[in-house]
Amino acid sequence: MNFLTRFLSWLKWMVKGQRLESEMETEVRFHIDSRAADLVRKGLSQQEAMRQARIEFGGIESHKDAVRASVGVRWWGELGSDMRHGWRLLRKNPGFAAVAILTLALGVGANTAIFSIVNAVLLRPLPFRDSDRLVRIYFNEPGVGLRDIPFSNPEMDDLQTRAGVFEDVTPIFEGSENMTGAKQPERLEAVNGSFSYFSMLGVTPQLGRLFGPQDFVPGFASTAVISDGLWRRAYGADPNVVGRTLMLDTDPFTIIGVLPRGFRHPGPTVSGDVDVFGAGGLTGDPFPPPIRSNRVLGSGIGRLKPGLTLAQAQARLTAMAAELRHDFPTDYPPQAQWTVEIQPLQETLVGNVRPMLLVLLGAVILIVFIVSLNIANLLLARASGRQQEMAVRLALGASRGRMVRQMLTESILLSLIGGAAGILTAVGTLSFILRFMPSNVPRLNEVRIDWVVLAFALLVSILTGLVFGLAPALHSAKVALSSAIREGGRGSGYSTATGRLRDVLIVSELAFAVILMAGAGLLLRTLRDLLQENPGFHPTQVVTANTWLGVPNDPKTDPYLSIPGMANFDREVLRRMKAIPGVEIAAITSSLPTTNSNPDAVGGLRIERFAIEDRTVESSQDLRAERIRISPDYFKVLQATLIRGRSFTEGDEDGKQPVAIVDESTARKFWPTHDPLGRQVRFGRDPAKPWTTVVGIIKDIKSDGLDIDGVPHIYVSTYQDPSKQVNVVLRTSLPAPQLEPQIRREIQSIDPGLPVFNVVSMDDILDRSLASRRFSADLVGGFAGLAVLLASIGIYGLLAYMVSQRSREIGIRMALGAGRGGVLKLFLQKGIVLAGLGIVAGMVVSASTASLMGSLLYGVRPHDPAVFVIVPVLLFAVAVLASYLPARRATKVDPMIALREA
Amino acid sequence: MGKQIDLLQGTLDMLILKAVSLGPLHGYGVLLRIQQISGEQLEIQQGSLYPALYRLEHQGWISSEWGESDNNRKAKFYSLTAAGRRQLHSETEKWNRMASLIASILRTTPEQI
Repeated sequence: MNFLTRFLSWLKWMVKGQRLESEMETEVRFHIDSRAADLVRKGLSQQEAMRQARIEFGGIESHKDAVRASVGVRWWGELGSDMRHGWRLLRKNPGFAAVAILTLALGVGANTAIFSIVNAVLLRPLPFRDSDRLVRIYFNEPGVGLRDIPFSNPEMDDLQTRAGVFEDVTPIFEGSENMTGAKQPERLEAVNGSFSYFSMLGVTPQLGRLFGPQDFVPGFASTAVISDGLWRRAYGADPNVVGRTLMLDTDPFTIIGVLPRGFRHPGPTVSGDVDVFGAGGLTGDPFPPPIRSNRVLGSGIGRLKPGLTLAQAQARLTAMAAELRHDFPTDYPPQAQWTVEIQPLQETLVGNVRPMLLVLLGAVILIVFIVSLNIANLLLARASGRQQEMAVRLALGASRGRMVRQMLTESILLSLIGGAAGILTAVGTLSFILRFMPSNVPRLNEVRIDWVVLAFALLVSILTGLVFGLAPALHSAKVALSSAIREGGRGSGYSTATGRLRDVLIVSELAFAVILMAGAGLLLRTLRDLLQENPGFHPTQVVTANTWLGVPNDPKTDPYLSIPGMANFDREVLRRMKAIPGVEIAAITSSLPTTNSNPDAVGGLRIERFAIEDRTVESSQDLRAERIRISPDYFKVLQATLIRGRSFTEGDEDGKQPVAIVDESTARKFWPTHDPLGRQVRFGRDPAKPWTTVVGIIKDIKSDGLDIDGVPHIYVSTYQDPSKQVNVVLRTSLPAPQLEPQIRREIQSIDPGLPVFNVVSMDDILDRSLASRRFSADLVGGFAGLAVLLASIGIYGLLAYMVSQRSREIGIRMALGAGRGGVLKLFLQKGIVLAGLGIVAGMVVSASTASLMGSLLYGVRPHDPAVFVIVPVLLFAVAVLASYLPARRATKVDPMIALREA
Repeated sequence: MGKQIDLLQGTLDMLILKAVSLGPLHGYGVLLRIQQISGEQLEIQQGSLYPALYRLEHQGWISSEWGESDNNRKAKFYSLTAAGRRQLHSETEKWNRMASLIASILRTTPEQI
């Protein structure tokens, strides 16, 4: 059979449905008229001839119908009439329609909104040319347990030329810049790469040009590309911005181009967006000479050659690393096992939020399941009421398949209406949801409702329609003809077949609710534990502010180059902070607690290598700790507890014996059998540097995040080892907004070019560090609450329906002497059995899938006993209550009335 | 009328193909042609001609075109397509084989077994 011909013919009739009808009409009339004319010729009268011709032709309508069937368009005609029938039924029962459409809108809407986020963040490729070939490059030392260590310029050259797998590579040197020249100095995030950074990504500017070979210099080029955001914010979207001068860390840069609006640097950031891009060789001033041991570059991005798989490229890089280890044994000690690793760029950007997004998607899918089971229940109840209609149709010759189709059409019509409402809900609420999304989720600017999202919404709608339509459809096809007609659709009782189906629906609904509740319970418990976690200090009544001492490209122009220069600045800041009325104590730190948990970002967690004096070089290989520079009163401001030894004093300054304080875990980790007090450490590899003596032990401070453990900390005196990152911490009863102008004024009266930013209370900082966990816990918790509500409505509805169907039976039982207690027990038992089955099933599934959520939990095991006790008890209580209400109504049945009505 | 034969199931399509193979015909013309070549011996329910015509067209064996009838009325004319010609040929062959087979079975005498 020629499929194509038939399809085209079908399509022709589908498109020209109206013409088919009129053509058939013309043809039939012509036939009858011609026959009549022949009959007239044979001697019949005109009238008699027409009559005869019609009789000979047979039933015109049934022949037309056969024609429609023969070209395959009858099915569509029937679909149309089923749709119209379904629509009329919905209109006739607006209460049911409203409940079904509203809950569907909620379920499909939540799915659409969450999926649009999943689609934009996880599924859609990065918005760069051939983005599947872009990789992030990591340098690791697995032998000493280190990942993502810095690398040197010669190593970058090896990747470019020796590896042979990259079309292009660029180092990413992230930095903080102080932009001056505007009304207020502003601190910007900057990325410096090779001049091919943009061409590698395949970006075109909206104004001017991007970097090219002409921008190559050993150090930094004096040209800059700015983001769309900075262009609008600082230059009022001036179309003539190209050629203007931008002052960054007191160095002048010429703006050569503006990036397009949607461009985001595909790497970790602190503030969410990089505003300035620079280029250069990163080998001349202010960089140290390009030798292998000068590992100054933080991260690298590469574009693989076309046709190369990730595995092939990785194999080549592993081989190259082995060659380099062999060629330069002093730079790559064998025990460190230095190597190079690549990962798809997209994976490195979104990998850490994937578990959270997938859990959210799972939660909304469960919700839509529960919604559809609830609607299935409502439809089943309605189907019982429609038994007579179905029986009559069957008796008139409708096939059972045809009836199943009709019921399914009605359900899918309902689900499509609900789905459309859901899409509208999602469109309307998406920006609202996005506002609450934690800021650590990347690519949120790319979230939109596109055709993939719409297709997903349509799929979810149709699937829910099938889920909730199938049960009543199959049920209606099983109608026993004779009994249904005889009973007149009144339903004398609760028939077993329907009953069992509805029981199954309720049990699954409860099971789904349990899964959601268990998930929400685990997330909420994690959040609660973290909120109760002792951070090792008292965050209340602490206000913090940040500033950054720039790094000019020419070291000679840097007023804060020397240790005394920076120490003097620190002292002056502290003197002025203490003078602000309402400030009790002031201190400085290079890293505020819980703000630096992102190890890749600017000012983020930097774990450094150090040595311990009495250990051999080999055993010192894995000695790494985070170095935090603090002023003497830091622990006093935070009210952290000094266990032994002493705090820093004003006398711990440059030229005196360098001193350090370690926390308890660090002491235990590095001096398990010794007293660390009086021991000596040295950061870096320079043997000429003096040793630093440990003078104190402090109780652990959760410096890297409430949910991050195990990073060793060594505190040093900021007067001896200052940092360009200056964070002020003040103990005060005043709120941050009130202090902000004074802090800014005081710091800028020392140096008007310094930006003052992030003036917030320590409480807010801690709160922000949990934003992502709070968001997912609240959202899943909300969904769980909704699930419980829907499930209890389901069980209530089922029992209420049973009671009304069996009121006659109850009447007879009571007339025969059954007590109210017995009747109550009859229905309550039913509810309890269903709830018990559902809860057990849900617990089994939860227990076997909870470990999937492991990465989202902290301090709570996936099989947390409390969650697995509270959830079933809670749900059981709700289910018993939901069953008790209709059961009690059963006891109120008056036997006389029940029997008379029946 | 009593001597007319009811149409065998499934043979209407073949007869239609045969009828239009002799030249384009409108629906009523197909009926007349079949009756004419059968010597008025076949009884066809006239209306059932049309589902068959549409089905054959749907399958690509005949094609249709609007034209004018002898009495100057608009009528749809059907003609055989190349695929239809092949179909008619194979149907005819099948039918002949079947008919001779059945005939030979029916001719069989007890002695031949």
